[in-house]
Amino acid sequence: MERLRILLVDDEADLVSALAERLALRGFQVQTATSAPAAQQLLREGEFDVLILDVKMPGTGGLKLLAEIKQKRPDLPAILFTGHGSVADAERGMQEGAFDYLVKPVQVDDLVETIYRAAGRKMELER
Amino acid sequence: MNEDAPDRLREDLAFCGLIAADVSHELRNVLSVIGEYAGLLDDLIGLAEQGKPADYAKLRKLSANIARQVKRGTETMERFSRFAHAADGQTSGFDLAALVENLAALLQGRVSLAGCRLEAELPAQSLPVRGDPFALQHLVFLSIQWVLDSLEKGESVRVKLLPQGPAAVICVSGPAAGGGADRVRQQVAAAAGGCQGTIETAWANGILSLTITLPIH
Repeated sequence: MERLRILLVDDEADLVSALAERLALRGFQVQTATSAPAAQQLLREGEFDVLILDVKMPGTGGLKLLAEIKQKRPDLPAILFTGHGSVADAERGMQEGAFDYLVKPVQVDDLVETIYRAAGRKMELER
Repeated sequence: MNEDAPDRLREDLAFCGLIAADVSHELRNVLSVIGEYAGLLDDLIGLAEQGKPADYAKLRKLSANIARQVKRGTETMERFSRFAHAADGQTSGFDLAALVENLAALLQGRVSLAGCRLEAELPAQSLPVRGDPFALQHLVFLSIQWVLDSLEKGESVRVKLLPQGPAAVICVSGPAAGGGADRVRQQVAAAAGGCQGTIETAWANGILSLTITLPIH
């Protein structure tokens, strides 16, 4: 079975590297970006099954990035990371096509379960 | 009774709430990172228990990373504590340089989220002034927010504090598309309250600036 390809985008470089390693240990193929332009570049260069995106990022925020990605890749499911103070933003992201959102600090088992649900939805849509 | 007092109180509370929200955002990030490092340590220990040789250099690095995040969170809490204690009501005197440095550090995340930079130029020596430190914090915040609201992504808001003869001068400036100086003058005058100084706002050659001058004691 092919490994699911994840793009993880968060401006917290430490969080991104630790979480990417934890997801890799669970069998995912993970690429990371700490800014919106870096994420856009990776999306141009490669294929992904699931996008994980922090809502609050410097410059181009997660929601704006989500809207830009959804225009080009409407089939790519996105899971949003948010804080308690920005749940309303995440709910707006859901209206704009995000698959689901998780409130930080995120439990890795919850994230893995959400990734599989998101990938399952993508496969259903592709059939 | 001053009829403006309820509005003033609400604005002061809103300012405190906003800083508290920024600090909580920062601490949440710190805790999230610590959580991921702790989880990764647990994963690696689990692998070692299954027979995979432990990479001690990696474990030591992860431990150092957790300590670094604890230091980051502690510094944020200390800054927030200094911010909060400015409202204790003591008006005998305080170090303006330390107050502006602390506030600028607390606002870095807010400015960064807007895609801009906050550049603070502060003197090495202390600048003792008298007045209400909380009101002054609010005033400097409003000045920074005023300039920030008019910036494009990638631009900078500059905070400069320097002694000028018997006074301390705070200048907050940045490039701007338009004026709005009158509105800000009214806002900052209302927030100035206990600050015993003069405030000037200006927009010239595409640069917005707000200058606060206080006597040094």
